[in-house]
Amino acid sequence: MRVFFFFLLSYMPYCLNAQDNLFNLLSKDKSPVYVSYLFKGTKIVNGQSVKLQAKDILQFNIQHRFGPLNSGAYNLYGLDFSQVRLSLEYGLYDWLTVGIGRSSSTKVIDANSKFRLKRQIVNGFPVSIVINSVICLKQIPSSNLLNSNSDGVYDNLSYTHQVLFARKITRNLSLQFTPTFIHYNLVEIQNKNNDRFSLGFGGRQKLTKRISLNTEFFYQLNEIVNKNVLSLGFDIETGGHVFQLHLSNSPHMIDTDFITNTVGDFLKGDIFFGFNISRVFSLN
Amino acid sequence: MNKILLILLINTQIQAQIFLGNSGNISFFSETPLENITAINDNVSAVFDASNNDLVFQLSISDFIFPNALMQEHFNENYLESDKYPNSTFSGTVTNLDNNNATVEGKLTIHGITNKITANGSFVNNGDFISIVAYLSVRLDDYNIKIPTILMYKIAENIKVNIDIKLKSNK
Repeated sequence: MRVFFFFLLSYMPYCLNAQDNLFNLLSKDKSPVYVSYLFKGTKIVNGQSVKLQAKDILQFNIQHRFGPLNSGAYNLYGLDFSQVRLSLEYGLYDWLTVGIGRSSSTKVIDANSKFRLKRQIVNGFPVSIVINSVICLKQIPSSNLLNSNSDGVYDNLSYTHQVLFARKITRNLSLQFTPTFIHYNLVEIQNKNNDRFSLGFGGRQKLTKRISLNTEFFYQLNEIVNKNVLSLGFDIETGGHVFQLHLSNSPHMIDTDFITNTVGDFLKGDIFFGFNISRVFSLN
Repeated sequence: MNKILLILLINTQIQAQIFLGNSGNISFFSETPLENITAINDNVSAVFDASNNDLVFQLSISDFIFPNALMQEHFNENYLESDKYPNSTFSGTVTNLDNNNATVEGKLTIHGITNKITANGSFVNNGDFISIVAYLSVRLDDYNIKIPTILMYKIAENIKVNIDIKLKSNK
């Protein structure tokens, strides 16, 4: 009898919550859990977000900007003017996206690369870090090119370099900090700097599963003529498309232009309505 | 004294009857006339206790790989909410083990919701290895996974799930 009791006791651990014990036997996964989907689009409004295209994904963007809201009823509050930027973005790797685009009114061709250095990790590394580099070529009529004594194409190049730090604070809120350096090979006005420095701040607050409110602010550090750039917008996601509707005091769509060529004042009604539409194609 | 030795022997025997697997495969299919969607997870872990036929599975939702990155984003962000509910688990018991065919009964947890399920499959135990292959059907509504009306024609109401895992004896 005593032996039987001992026998029963030795069995006890196996009878208590047998299945819970089995879960404890499962090897604990030590690999880091990355925080994903900080932003819905590759742009917050005008500026780049830390989101990159996944490998083998090609995204086609159509961006529209209308005229200023304070241009009066005769211009239907800006809707009579419109400019467009068409662009393609492609994920060469999950950590490297390249893109090209062209803006209609400023006649600028741009190419950029976004390179991810670090990803935010749950209970680990606090931010995602992405480096964005843009090279812009402003087209000029070929007759001008022949007549002037300029250095040709070289004079019309400008460069943007940004480091993007972003953190998903809660599952609905992501914030981004974007120090920016822009260099123009040639500036039109004499007392303008060839080198400009700006600080960008951006954020996304999800309102529903498919709609988010985005804001973006670029503060100019060494600028005389330029205004700070404030933009507000909504991301609306429907299946393979993302629609971004927004208001900004800059009519431009490429980093070099909107950060350093914004003359409008948001508070005086120099506000431009615009939208981005993107469509992704899987090329694998 | 002999009897105590015998008991100790039995206990070690029980310890040895645990089977473990860490790289099992669970895939699912959504079939509609408009679109077929497949996703595969190769990091499924499972434990089987041969002493009482208890079986548990566990997987990480974000380990499901889709052919299209956007689908994967929607799956994690909009449907399964993997940041909120990172894992899916099953805990149950193998019943009616008969000639390599088995029925499993237990509780399946997906998207934070637990339902009782029963599944049939093949269960081959050769002493050192156990190989489990099973199929089951998961109704999205049962796990509070909401599909927006405009996508209802692209995502099936019932998702077919295939399970394929090999467990190794813990000797």
